[in-house]
Amino acid sequence: MSVLELFKDIQTSELSRFVGGQNHLFGAIFQLIHIVGLILILSPVTLVSLRLAGLSGLREQSLVDIAQSTAKFIWVGLGLLVFSGIFIFIPAATNYYPNFAFWAKFLFLAIALIVHVTLYKKLTSIESPHLLAARFTAGLVMFLWLAVAFSARFIGFV
Amino acid sequence: MTLIEFAELLYDSELGTSLRESIYAYPIVEGIHLIGLAFSVGLLFFVDLRLLGLFLPNISVSALLHPLRPLILGSFAVTMVTGILLFVASASKIILLDVFFYKLIFIVLAGVNALWFELKWGKHVDHWEFEKLLPKSVQYAGGISLFLWSLVLISGRLIPYLNYK
Repeated sequence: MSVLELFKDIQTSELSRFVGGQNHLFGAIFQLIHIVGLILILSPVTLVSLRLAGLSGLREQSLVDIAQSTAKFIWVGLGLLVFSGIFIFIPAATNYYPNFAFWAKFLFLAIALIVHVTLYKKLTSIESPHLLAARFTAGLVMFLWLAVAFSARFIGFV
Repeated sequence: MTLIEFAELLYDSELGTSLRESIYAYPIVEGIHLIGLAFSVGLLFFVDLRLLGLFLPNISVSALLHPLRPLILGSFAVTMVTGILLFVASASKIILLDVFFYKLIFIVLAGVNALWFELKWGKHVDHWEFEKLLPKSVQYAGGISLFLWSLVLISGRLIPYLNYK
């Protein structure tokens, strides 16, 4: 089965038709959950990146502490994004298929998650990582998550 | 001139029209609005949680607030400027939405709360910041800020939904 066929099947499923048949405010609720999820990821990533980059003032605080106490926000945020994202996606699955911003978003998301569980996780588990490596990671994760948010914002416009 | 006439003037202005009609300008401005939010409300979120004692209770409030304050304020300015541009682009439609006025009211209330906190507590932060459990009104200020900014986000996100109706 091709991806397009899969998307067609998803869109014609009973759940999808139920969601699609609701009032437009029903969809707005999932959009709201989606943006809360995004903020829950972007905020901790921003804070930890600032610490990794060595923002003066924040540098005196423990990197491991900051990273550990923000980690749960990231995973809760991701959970909310996946949950609400499914409901946003299924009623109009085939509309997303030709949308280049949609695919760009998932490409950036995949890379962001890979970097998150490798480089980011590794560097935030040690108290004073090499400054250059820390700054590179901070810049990379910020770029990737903002690219996810930005390309997501473009989906509705292209 | 009524408020609606003023909004129509903005809507029909060169800036409003070109923003609305450009394929890229509008989503780019919206994207920057979102990024500004992540840095302003997003970072403020952690300060509020700290005031409530729910985030890094072992770090003093000023150790968190001082380095973040310029970023929060700077990105808040970015969010506000891009917000004004987004408003100009669809002013005559947005001005008719109740939710837009709710959003403005929530922003003003959040601003008053922040100003009150700065004037009452911000000045002598060193008197109370090392206590594990912060004074009750400091905790309230954090909770109120968290609540109001959430309402701002919610009402803001609803604008396009009610707008496209």
